[in-house]
Amino acid sequence: MKIHQLFIDNACTRNDEVDYIISKLNIEPQWVDNSQPVYDFINNDSDPILKAKKTLFLTKNRGAVIKECPGTSFYTCCDYTILHTGTFCTMDCSYCILQAYFHPPILQYFTGLETFGQNLEQIFTKNQIFRIGTGEYTDSLIWEKITLQPKFLVEQFATQNNSLLELKTKTTNIESLLDLDHNGKTIIAWSLNTPDVISSEEKGTASLKSRLEAAKRVEAKGYKLAFHFDPMVIYPGCEEQYQKVIHQIFKYVHPENIVWISIGSFRFMPRLKQVIEKRFIDSTICYGEFILGLDNKMRYFKPLRIKLYRAIIETIKEYDPNILVYFCMEDEEVWEKSFGFFPKRVGELGNLLDKSAVRHCGLNSLFL
Amino acid sequence: MMSEHLCKIDIGDIDLTDQRYQISFSNENIAFLGQSIRETGMIHPPMVRPLNNQYIIVSGFNRIKASIYNKKDTILVYTIKPDADEYQCLLKSITAISFKRQLSQAELIRSIKLLNKFLDEKQMADKSAAIFNMELNAIFIKDLLNIANLPEPALELIHKGNISFKTARRMQFFQQETIKSFLNIFSKIKASNNKQLEIIQYIEEISKRDAISMEVFFQNHEIQKIILNEKSEPLLKTKLIRENLYKLRFPTIFKTRQKVQRKINNLKLGNTIKFVPPENFESQNYSISFNAKNYIEFKANIKTLNNVLENQKLEEVFNQ
Ligand code: SF4
Repeated sequence: MKIHQLFIDNACTRNDEVDYIISKLNIEPQWVDNSQPVYDFINNDSDPILKAKKTLFLTKNRGAVIKECPGTSFYTCCDYTILHTGTFCTMDCSYCILQAYFHPPILQYFTGLETFGQNLEQIFTKNQIFRIGTGEYTDSLIWEKITLQPKFLVEQFATQNNSLLELKTKTTNIESLLDLDHNGKTIIAWSLNTPDVISSEEKGTASLKSRLEAAKRVEAKGYKLAFHFDPMVIYPGCEEQYQKVIHQIFKYVHPENIVWISIGSFRFMPRLKQVIEKRFIDSTICYGEFILGLDNKMRYFKPLRIKLYRAIIETIKEYDPNILVYFCMEDEEVWEKSFGFFPKRVGELGNLLDKSAVRHCGLNSLFL
Repeated sequence: MMSEHLCKIDIGDIDLTDQRYQISFSNENIAFLGQSIRETGMIHPPMVRPLNNQYIIVSGFNRIKASIYNKKDTILVYTIKPDADEYQCLLKSITAISFKRQLSQAELIRSIKLLNKFLDEKQMADKSAAIFNMELNAIFIKDLLNIANLPEPALELIHKGNISFKTARRMQFFQQETIKSFLNIFSKIKASNNKQLEIIQYIEEISKRDAISMEVFFQNHEIQKIILNEKSEPLLKTKLIRENLYKLRFPTIFKTRQKVQRKINNLKLGNTIKFVPPENFESQNYSISFNAKNYIEFKANIKTLNNVLENQKLEEVFNQ
């Protein structure tokens, strides 16, 4: 989605970082004292969500720059750390939770590389492994072409040995990262889906082939990789389609460079359904066999989830039984029936992921 | 200033076919009203308008019918001046009801549709307190107008309670043929507002999921069979339609529930012990409970449970 309007918070310092963005976008910015004019501009449209995707607001992060991923008590969480670099996204996936998460969503990019640097510095001095991602409230690489942020982060992480940076994306925006000295501390992760789902539900994202080609290119530059099958969508023939995607992965990249693969099926806050029905009238994604989960989100009927997971896990393990595959937000029964084990202890899943991070990215194993 | 005067007229001079001002719906128990008029007299005389040597009814359709039922030749009425215009007569007709009792939803919709010939939503909203004896906003009036444009017998079904206001509002977005099919279903069943909305939602979702039009869906053999069955009661039809739709909308969940229930039944726990699987099988909380009035009953239940423990089928209940 092309940016049509640029607002800049007066709180942002006019510096190289901001000038770089303005020059790349080539849009005359509108300087504002607060977010109200941005909200007003967006809310005036018949589809504020779509309008928000074309309206960039450069601002300061006034909240926590680094925070823990919000898990739930009912489903196992992976103890991830979020680097809060911005909100919302220029792509337009029907299922995107961000549409219903913010009221209304605003496409914010947080300026202040030095702020990120200072916050990260505190993390880097701790005797603990951190897995840090920027792709929780946005896509990690949507701004790669117009900002210095991804480059800055990769270079920051390259200087230390207790944290890895995971850049999670559905784009192929990797050019500026290719020649960086990343020191193995950044993994580039792609969210993957079947070509059916990509074409019907992931508007504006790169095709499966392009994502895998991009993965191959960064792998060639020494980056480690991760893949996220989330959200998996259940539809007739989906098992075979997902298995095909897995076969594709291993045609492009080597299993030993994959730090982890996560899997999770489509789940949504009930209020997202209305948004999807209104904005994506051809989408049938909400018409699967959903039940209300223990976390008050709609989830596929458990036996259906387990059936799909088993098929996928089996296919991945055929390529390499050592690849760490894990669930994002599933419970004991699903783990047991799909993997034959459950990381029961608090922090156990996180520890498994930390170990994989240490093994693949050369983090200090003494911090495990 | 318009005024009416009270006079006695021949009932035969009233054009009963002209229903242009009819707001209320036909009273099915006209005999009761007839009896009441016989006992207490005509407390509120109907209002008529002279037109082309006849009278047309402005208000009191049911009272006039009841008088005919009572085999009366004449009736005491208020007659409106012949020069009164359509809009004034319509206002008379609405306010004659709205200031006597609250208009029903169907009456309100009918009134708004008729008034829309003279006033737009905003004007109606401005005058709503004076006309309807309640404040209405323009957005709500717009909704009512949309509902008023639903095909027949939508209004009749709203009046009878077969479709709720929310259901009618939901239906306005469908094609005419689809609306008619829904009206056909709702005319044959008796469902609460939530159940009506659920029926619409399931049919819409199944059709979208299966990439068929709702019209094609309505040909579904099972659904047709239930609707066309003259012998079954509306409540039973409602139950059967909902069950069928659930089965179509959630086939795996439906089958799993049935399978597990069969397995539980096969355990032969009797009537006193309740074995309930987790709702939707998302949690792993199976519950078992029984009531016992005395020690003997308690012991008997425990014995049954012990026997079930030996039954290999018990484990199957826990594995879907
Ligand atoms: S790529 Fe991610 S953040 Fe962007 S719209 Fe899709 S789901 Fe949302």
